[in-house]
Amino acid sequence: MFAFANLCMYFRGTYSVWISKIQVNHPAVLRRAEQIQARRTVKKEWQAAWLLKAVTFIDLTTLSGDDTSSNIQRLCYKAKYPIREDLLKALNMHDKGITTAAVCVYPARVCDAVKALKAAGCNIPVASVATGFPAGQTHLKTRLEEIRLAVEDGATEIDVVINRSLVLTGQWEALYDEIRQFRKACGEAHLKTILATGELGSLTNVYKASMIAMMAGSDFIKTSTGKETVNATFPVAIVMLRAIRDFFWKTGNKIGFKPAGGIRSAKDSLAWLSLVKEELGDEWLKPELFRIGASTLLSDIERQIYHHVTGRYAAYHDLPMS
Amino acid sequence: MAATRAGPRAREIFTSLEYGPVPESHACALAWLDTQDRCLGHYVNGKWLKPEHRNSVPCQDPITGENLASCLQAQAEDVAAAVEAARMAFRSWSVHPGVVRAQHLTRLAKVIQKHQRLLWTLESLVTGRAVREVRDGDVQLAQQLLHYHAIQASTQEEALAGWEPMGVIGLILPPTFSFLEMMWRICPALAVGCTVVALVPPASPTPLLLAQLSGELGPFPGILNVISGSASLVPVLASQPGIQKVAFCGALEGGLRLLIQESVWDEAMRRLQERMGRLRSGRGLDGAVDMGARGAAACDLVQRFVREAQSQGAQVLQAGDVPSERPFYPPTLVSNLPPASPSKGSSSVPWPVVVASPFRTAKEALLVANGTPRGGSASVWSERLGQALELGYGLQVGTVWINAHGLRDPSVPTGGCKESGCSWHGGPDGLYEYLRPSGTPARLSCLSKNLNYDTFGLAVPSTLPAGPEIGPSPAPPYGLFIGGRFQAPGARSSKPIRDSSGNLHGYVAEGGAKDIRGAVEAAHQAFPGWAGQSPGARAALLWALAAALERRKSTLASRLERQGVELKAAEAEVELSARRLRAWGARVQAQGHTLQVAGLRGPVLRLREPLGVLAVVCPDEWPLLAFVSLLAPALAYGNTVVTVPSAACPLLALEVCQDMATLFPAGLANVVTGDRDHLTRCLALHQDVQAMWYFGSAQGSQFVEWASAGNLKPVWASRGCPRAWDQEAEGAGPELGLRAARTKALWLPMGD
Repeated sequence: MFAFANLCMYFRGTYSVWISKIQVNHPAVLRRAEQIQARRTVKKEWQAAWLLKAVTFIDLTTLSGDDTSSNIQRLCYKAKYPIREDLLKALNMHDKGITTAAVCVYPARVCDAVKALKAAGCNIPVASVATGFPAGQTHLKTRLEEIRLAVEDGATEIDVVINRSLVLTGQWEALYDEIRQFRKACGEAHLKTILATGELGSLTNVYKASMIAMMAGSDFIKTSTGKETVNATFPVAIVMLRAIRDFFWKTGNKIGFKPAGGIRSAKDSLAWLSLVKEELGDEWLKPELFRIGASTLLSDIERQIYHHVTGRYAAYHDLPMS
Repeated sequence: MAATRAGPRAREIFTSLEYGPVPESHACALAWLDTQDRCLGHYVNGKWLKPEHRNSVPCQDPITGENLASCLQAQAEDVAAAVEAARMAFRSWSVHPGVVRAQHLTRLAKVIQKHQRLLWTLESLVTGRAVREVRDGDVQLAQQLLHYHAIQASTQEEALAGWEPMGVIGLILPPTFSFLEMMWRICPALAVGCTVVALVPPASPTPLLLAQLSGELGPFPGILNVISGSASLVPVLASQPGIQKVAFCGALEGGLRLLIQESVWDEAMRRLQERMGRLRSGRGLDGAVDMGARGAAACDLVQRFVREAQSQGAQVLQAGDVPSERPFYPPTLVSNLPPASPSKGSSSVPWPVVVASPFRTAKEALLVANGTPRGGSASVWSERLGQALELGYGLQVGTVWINAHGLRDPSVPTGGCKESGCSWHGGPDGLYEYLRPSGTPARLSCLSKNLNYDTFGLAVPSTLPAGPEIGPSPAPPYGLFIGGRFQAPGARSSKPIRDSSGNLHGYVAEGGAKDIRGAVEAAHQAFPGWAGQSPGARAALLWALAAALERRKSTLASRLERQGVELKAAEAEVELSARRLRAWGARVQAQGHTLQVAGLRGPVLRLREPLGVLAVVCPDEWPLLAFVSLLAPALAYGNTVVTVPSAACPLLALEVCQDMATLFPAGLANVVTGDRDHLTRCLALHQDVQAMWYFGSAQGSQFVEWASAGNLKPVWASRGCPRAWDQEAEGAGPELGLRAARTKALWLPMGD
């Protein structure tokens, strides 16, 4: 893990000067984002294999006001059996233990999820959003308490939202301190920091917030809550991935990346895989370093796999709902 | 459940997460070749032309070497047939209203849209370029070009009044080219009413397909004709009667030079290498490759270049996912290359090589960037707006992208300077390439074979004293006006000038090569200061000269009178000259503008920049008015000039020099008298003269055009045709303004 003391010193010293000088070139990022979507596609077996890989990156998510134990249970079952067994057999992939990377729920549903997964006999981690998700506009004290309670209930990954007002007013040190406290409250649990990039105002702010979240000890940085008007976009992702790469070059630590919000089609998920492959390389293409936050994506992937295996497009009732 | 289609490899790919092939089917391209029985001829007058007894050249897939078709090679008579077809087509095409041409171009755009897959697979198949590049870039832009020029055609009667289409345009394409480069040239030509004969290198089917698509549209079959043949046919095409202009087309983009500031060198190189490592190369028809291959010849070229660089101690880095067999070549980053001599060979970096070198300051970067004979395009990457603009304005190229690269749009003129040539494509500038002022006589295509380029103007006939000057007026000024003062000629000889009754009017200095060298040097020294002046300041100086001319009216008029001009007319000529100076001063203040283009957030600035040192050889007639009419626009646009005044009566120009001596900064305008042919020779062969205007004999014009090929400076030669300098259109028309400056497009994408 991190040598926190060192990073603290880094941050207070040279890094804060460096952070203040950072400039992201907006038109250049847009152009790169355009290119990357047009230049990399995979077809046939490659597509099928990539899609199955994408399944293993999914944080299967439900974050609704009407979540109850019954739909959480169904979600957990789907996480364990994401693709119909016969389809996996046809691809000779049934013994690969393909599950989603985690399930992601509200803090109040963590208990339900832990129980359901236990019943299904698997060790898929439960992730909980916390810290006043999605807006983060509650008192720091309750935000920290929320993390502790979710961890107590059995969540091993915590998706926290940052305080956007600190970014917009340029209080980088205060932001750093807050995330450090989140980190401490998580204990052994993994900290995934949601930057809510749709509300940060500029790509330069996205880069700075990414850097600070990583310095403060996040295990993952995540694009959005899925509740903002603009969610995971390619330009934002490029900036965050470049920040992850710069952080790796400077400290040797690999931080994970999680796009979330608006990733619905199998085709989208392939584009995200190739984006990470292009910008960070194959080392990042594993669940420890790459997740996709999504709820409906999985069923589209399953439909594509169905088509690949059978040569037919699936009817609605051919595939189990999640 | 239906039968399983899954292959065995999914398991391996699941672990390796490698990319697979994404083959783009080129069945339709092959089917099209089949319609011609795999034998391509020429496309002339809406029909395939397949003459018998012609040699043929195989058209090969540059990657596999597979024979795709055989292409017949044209002979002179085929070229003649194509030009004849284009001439016949010109008769109707050019007289139709612009709206009709607009409709035709729009229909062609629609046909391309409907058959775009055929176009992009054929192009990618035969050139080896990445299909993505052709499909998403070239084919889309080709349609935009047609639409843009259709709009230009539809407004031609109002927007381009006073101009007429040149006629039949001969278009020469280089051995490797993109069909898009052809579109950049044929669209404006067709839009304004010209017709085209394109001579394409052996084995290039895409232009033939385009010609077929255009020809099959119906009413105007002969407007676009494509002949395929070797470069030896270029002179044949150029000398066909009826060819009014020969346009050349640049080859595919080569390698790049990259200048990186020392303070960020390590960081930038690290990122560059990282990114290069992710580039994928492969068969052009694969939808997921970044680069294709350009055939064996290109491969040899780059291999030689890299070997040479290595032997000079350069560092060579190659990376990327590239097939190991020929003709694939990995993206290559060369650094530490010792500064090469700026000869033509070493200045061009072959594809796919990037040569990186460090610089210390922005000023140094500008010097290095401008220190090459090329002047096509450049991009500037900087987060500091002020610095980026400083470099953008300072770079001697046709296109500058700030924080972007390689963007193009039909409404933005694209061109260059120095050895990248001086023609323009796209935007309003591109249209004028195929227009001439109404009433200008057509070009005679036959060059004189008697002109000896080696001896033209070489020797100066000796002159002897012809007696003392007589007459009422004061003795005329004497000397060469160089660097702001009258100087004695290097030859220390003089030449008598006679008046209309044959009496001696005065002596003028006999200028020579050394004097021309001095004058060009003086003009160069004055150039940065003058070009840096605001148009307003330049206008003020021209107005001051106009006032001085009016004060000197009686002297000027009496000198004109001695040349046989009636007093009234002489006075009118002086007045008109003063008006010309004022008019250009005013005009130059309202130039340049901002363009808005699709696909770019932000403006594109269309700048009008001075050419540099402009050599002007004035006509014999109108010794004052022609001199001033040429001087005024040249100076107004920020050029400095070296002028050879009227040979018949240079004295009037020298009179004006007396005022310039007191008003102008030294070297701004230089006037060299002497033997016209000799001075013309010296100027045309001078490599550091950026443009030349020649108003004189057909022979002189031919020499100037030949000699100027040495540095590809833009030339405007009258070819022996007289001009009505007292008429507004010919003496002060927009043509002069167009010739007096060059366009630069400055792309400014925005975003926070």
